[in-house]
Amino acid sequence: MKLRLRLALTAVAVTVPAVFALVQVEHSVRRRTTDEVIIETTLSQMQSGGRERCEAAPDTWMVRSRSQRPPWEREGLPSDAPRPNDEGPPRGPMGRRLPPVNLYPFDGQFVSRNPQAPAVDDELRQGVRDDGVGVRRYSKDDGALVQDLLLRMPWNGGPCEYVLARRVEPPGSPEVGLPPLYVWGVPTLILLSAMVVALGPVVQRLRRLTEEVRASSGSGYEQPVTVNGSDEIAELARAFQQARAEIQARMAHQQAREQTLRDFLANTTHDVMTPLTVLQGHLAAMQQRMREGQPQEPGLMLSAMSEAHYMASLVHNLGAAARLEAGAPQVQHAPVDLNALVSRVLGRHQPIARPQRIALESGVPATPTWVMGDETLLEQAVSNVVLNGIRYGREDGHVAVVLETTRQQTFSLRVIDDGPGISEEERSRILERRFRGNAARTREPQGQGLGLHIVHNVVELHGWKMTLAPSEYGGLEVAFTGPLMPPPG
Amino acid sequence: MGDRILLVEDDDPLGSQIVGHLRGAGFEPVWWREGRLLVAGDLPDVSLVVLDLMLPGTYGLDMLKALRTFSEVPVLILSARNDTLDKVRALKLGADDYMTKPFWPEELVERVRARLRRPTLQKEQVVVEVGPLRIDLQGHTVQVQGRPVELTRVEFGLLAALARRPQEAVTRQWLVEHVLDPEREGTERTLDVHVSRLRRKLGPVKCVETVWGVGYRLVPGEDA
Repeated sequence: MKLRLRLALTAVAVTVPAVFALVQVEHSVRRRTTDEVIIETTLSQMQSGGRERCEAAPDTWMVRSRSQRPPWEREGLPSDAPRPNDEGPPRGPMGRRLPPVNLYPFDGQFVSRNPQAPAVDDELRQGVRDDGVGVRRYSKDDGALVQDLLLRMPWNGGPCEYVLARRVEPPGSPEVGLPPLYVWGVPTLILLSAMVVALGPVVQRLRRLTEEVRASSGSGYEQPVTVNGSDEIAELARAFQQARAEIQARMAHQQAREQTLRDFLANTTHDVMTPLTVLQGHLAAMQQRMREGQPQEPGLMLSAMSEAHYMASLVHNLGAAARLEAGAPQVQHAPVDLNALVSRVLGRHQPIARPQRIALESGVPATPTWVMGDETLLEQAVSNVVLNGIRYGREDGHVAVVLETTRQQTFSLRVIDDGPGISEEERSRILERRFRGNAARTREPQGQGLGLHIVHNVVELHGWKMTLAPSEYGGLEVAFTGPLMPPPG
Repeated sequence: MGDRILLVEDDDPLGSQIVGHLRGAGFEPVWWREGRLLVAGDLPDVSLVVLDLMLPGTYGLDMLKALRTFSEVPVLILSARNDTLDKVRALKLGADDYMTKPFWPEELVERVRARLRRPTLQKEQVVVEVGPLRIDLQGHTVQVQGRPVELTRVEFGLLAALARRPQEAVTRQWLVEHVLDPEREGTERTLDVHVSRLRRKLGPVKCVETVWGVGYRLVPGEDA
């Protein structure tokens, strides 16, 4: 249902019963006052000579008094207008004249000598016995309202012991049914039109807001909605603006993630495919030499091994990158023995370092060096640094891993080489740059690629410190420092 | 003569490769192609188990758990997954070591050797013999090819520190902190001076080896 129609119906539904209720209340108040006025005047009339006249001629005694209409009922009736000196009872309360009243006498047996007197029924009798006044109201067939009041006079015996006052309201009088339409209809109409008029701009603004919201959702929430004013509709518009901003932020985030993922996948594929191609080429060349009965070339073999090793490291790095991307929940915190870790890293790279004539050395404390962390990620980080040292190292070069502890319950793990090293500029860039998908692309010796980014991220994740410095042997020294695991207990 | 090693590996090429390399290294491998929930008595007499975690039938970790209820044989885990949780779980269940695939055969053989030799290394020896050197850690005496050598307190401390971990590199920093007199100014330079004196005293046998970037290591050495 439309807002306007609903409001109009609601107004009517509230107004009409209210008008009826008010009319009913007014009627009942008026009746009660009329009753009181009639009783009073009848009593005073009877006491001031009425009794004598009644008892003198009970057969014919009957008083007929005609009162003025209330002023608002009198208008438009000039010919009927009573004269100012018209005989009648005094003014009643509320400034109204009494209605026309006929009085009929009754004796103790409720029998009237006057043949014109109406019959007295049980209702009246009962009323007059209980309360001193019997009241009866009924409508005649022609619509006139009859009001009978049976009163006990302040004396006993005689034909005028009771007096019945009858008042007949002719049909169509204002006391029957609703007051005329112009009395209540006009204000109701004014109220209704005021509502509808006031509602007009509200409905307009709501419609505009609806259109704007539709347009906004159609444009992928790019288009804003206008907010003016500070009422509830403006509030609604503001709420939509907020929701729109939220949706846009989420969509942007999602898109960025998807883009990163796509880039990452593309770069990864590229990076795995390249060493695979080299490896295939080497294997094919080896097969060819074998077929031709030539001796195998050590350089070819070494290169093939190196490519395979690089690929393994790359895949591990991708796994590590995925876990770093996923964040903290994916990261384990368990005791890790750095001595064993260094030994594993060396064992892993020895087969690739030896043929390249690079001496891979390590020195660790005599007792296990326990730290808290994610073993796989830490091993990958140390592996990356060591592998960089080997890959970019010179022939007959060295790579050494030195693990030391201090009395302050910290450790330092240094990877030292005598390779070409990297410039200070690049060193700071590696430490500043956050991990990005396309970092996987750089495979040249100058760019340290995905490996060092993972190292940096892992170190950060563990709350360790990492420094890159030129080593005293001319190459690079990568140092990790962090806290030891607190001793149990 | 070689130690018997149980290999549990479902992948045929990898399994036969590992078997070949272990045999080449002088071990006697037994190859199971599937995991079995072992009960006491099922396990053949082996010195070490190489167990792949991803197995059809029985999951490697379950097998390890069952195995640990009755045997203390060293277990080396092979894991393809680069998942720390798996490793932590395996170590908790009693695995001794793990290797992540892919690995070089050399690496595996090295690891198996290290694991098998571990128990003898744990004993604290009173007399250490490395090549021609005989070092009495309690008596503070040193002999080279049966000939006693006079060493200063610092020189002996240096040699003893290296002798406690033969074949392993000891870092210079550690030696400076633990061997040199803390009262005097102890620097790595001073350490190098002590080492060269020690080398001279030990004569033609080159037992104290410089480890590039790390420190020093005691090796059997060869006659000059």
